[in-house]
Amino acid sequence: MTNAVAGLGLAPDAAMVTFPIEMFLPGSDIGPVRARKQEFYDGLTRWRSALAGDGAGEAPMLRVEGTSAEDAFARVNHLMLANRWGDGLPLWPPTRERVDWILRGSAQPRGRKLGTFPPRGGVTTVESCAVALAMAGGRPEYLPVLVAVVEAFLDPESGSETLQAASGSAFPVVIVNGPIGARIRLNAGFGCLGPDPQRPAGASIGRALRLLQQNLGGALPGIGTMANYGGLRYTNVVFAEDEASLPAGWTPHGTERHGFAPSTSSISLAFASGATNIRRRGAKKETPEEDALQGMHRMADFMRVPNMAGLAGYEHGAPGILMIPGVVAQTMIGLGWTKTSIREFLWQHSRIPAEALHRAGCPAWIEIDTSKVVRESLALDPWPITAQPDNFVIVVAGGGHPTNSYWLQGYSPGVVGRRIELPASFEGLIAEAERDLGPA
Amino acid sequence: MVRLEFHDPSGATEVTQAHAPRVAALAGKRIGFVSNEQWQAYRMLPLLKGLLEADFPGIEVLPIDAFPQGNAVIGSEETAALVKASGVDAVVIGNAA
Repeated sequence: MTNAVAGLGLAPDAAMVTFPIEMFLPGSDIGPVRARKQEFYDGLTRWRSALAGDGAGEAPMLRVEGTSAEDAFARVNHLMLANRWGDGLPLWPPTRERVDWILRGSAQPRGRKLGTFPPRGGVTTVESCAVALAMAGGRPEYLPVLVAVVEAFLDPESGSETLQAASGSAFPVVIVNGPIGARIRLNAGFGCLGPDPQRPAGASIGRALRLLQQNLGGALPGIGTMANYGGLRYTNVVFAEDEASLPAGWTPHGTERHGFAPSTSSISLAFASGATNIRRRGAKKETPEEDALQGMHRMADFMRVPNMAGLAGYEHGAPGILMIPGVVAQTMIGLGWTKTSIREFLWQHSRIPAEALHRAGCPAWIEIDTSKVVRESLALDPWPITAQPDNFVIVVAGGGHPTNSYWLQGYSPGVVGRRIELPASFEGLIAEAERDLGPA
Repeated sequence: MVRLEFHDPSGATEVTQAHAPRVAALAGKRIGFVSNEQWQAYRMLPLLKGLLEADFPGIEVLPIDAFPQGNAVIGSEETAALVKASGVDAVVIGNAA
């Protein structure tokens, strides 16, 4: 496993003795430890970092020559894959001209350091974001969102340091609030999880984040991250809340969770490890009240599973992100439900009986958790899947149709928000997008 | 001929602290274990402890539970302080998977 220590400021190699996974399983033959004992002894005595003192400094410019524009483009893409910088889909070469164009979207100096990307520890700057966004086919007006997302990702509260390398295949989920979503063509309605050629911002921003996770963070499958499946990570998840469809009295997610004033352009970052549609409406002669209640039960029942995804954020994070269409939110409000009562219902009805918890071996995981709140929760029967109802993230998003809701199963130690800082030239960038892409 | 010049997307890294110096030899040294108690550490680390004690005269290998165990605590400053205070010459950390 590479990168295990680089993010801590150490050289990115370490004295490790590695074995096939089979030896780490219950009942395994641990004889190889004896057979390879000299490697342990060497690690304590003779090992020296091959990289100490290396790696710092400016990233170089690379050059490729081709017989034609197409040949040069293909060679760049081959080089990207050979160096493990790509994702298998075509990449736009991050030329100086392209990156400088993207950087017009920054309100901050290109060299401003945002942090180091875990676990590898790549130095992350505004320019790094622009490089990734250029590769991902992005535009300047997307950059303010990406910079805010990266700031949130690098916040220790997000849990990214662990999740980047962990086996759970967690992927970032970015919820955008405020006017910027519509301005940059970020989808909040039908097909908001993409792809959407009319509103391509989410795909580019999410793909750029993924490239940063890999190229600066070292999250390469099976090498830098043990994510078993790596699901949904080509573009991660980036969408806007459908604020135009919020019922009266229903505050935007960025306001509710992070305290941003309404109409503030902001992002909220969580992690998820699964995504599924949940059938919400009835099919026959249900009354509106029955229709709403049955839909609530279906959602809570789906959440009541003892796989403990929510342990990662049990105390302050999120057990998941529930996306409901505006038409459903408005109907529920009309029937007397509130956002608070929806959360309370989900929290109460997703609790797991102790017998089911024990049958699935969950107590051992709960007992070894770092959080005292988690450990003490074991005494509760039925066991809540998260410490409090407010941990549920509920956003209004998706097409104006009542049949479905969507559950992004959380794997999120924290939910981190950031305001989006726009450059003075932002309106000009939007005008250029209108010119390039047609009316929004 | 078409030439494309572009940014290396892997960026730069910083090395701000050195790895711990290695001991010249293990005989006569004091060795500690820091265990996360996962991935068969409860079997593998005692085996390694026994091997060290058998192969190096005068070596002192602290018990596997000499320091707090488990992912919840081994990365803490408190555990690091306990390790330092113990006077060990070297530490083996396990197990990851």
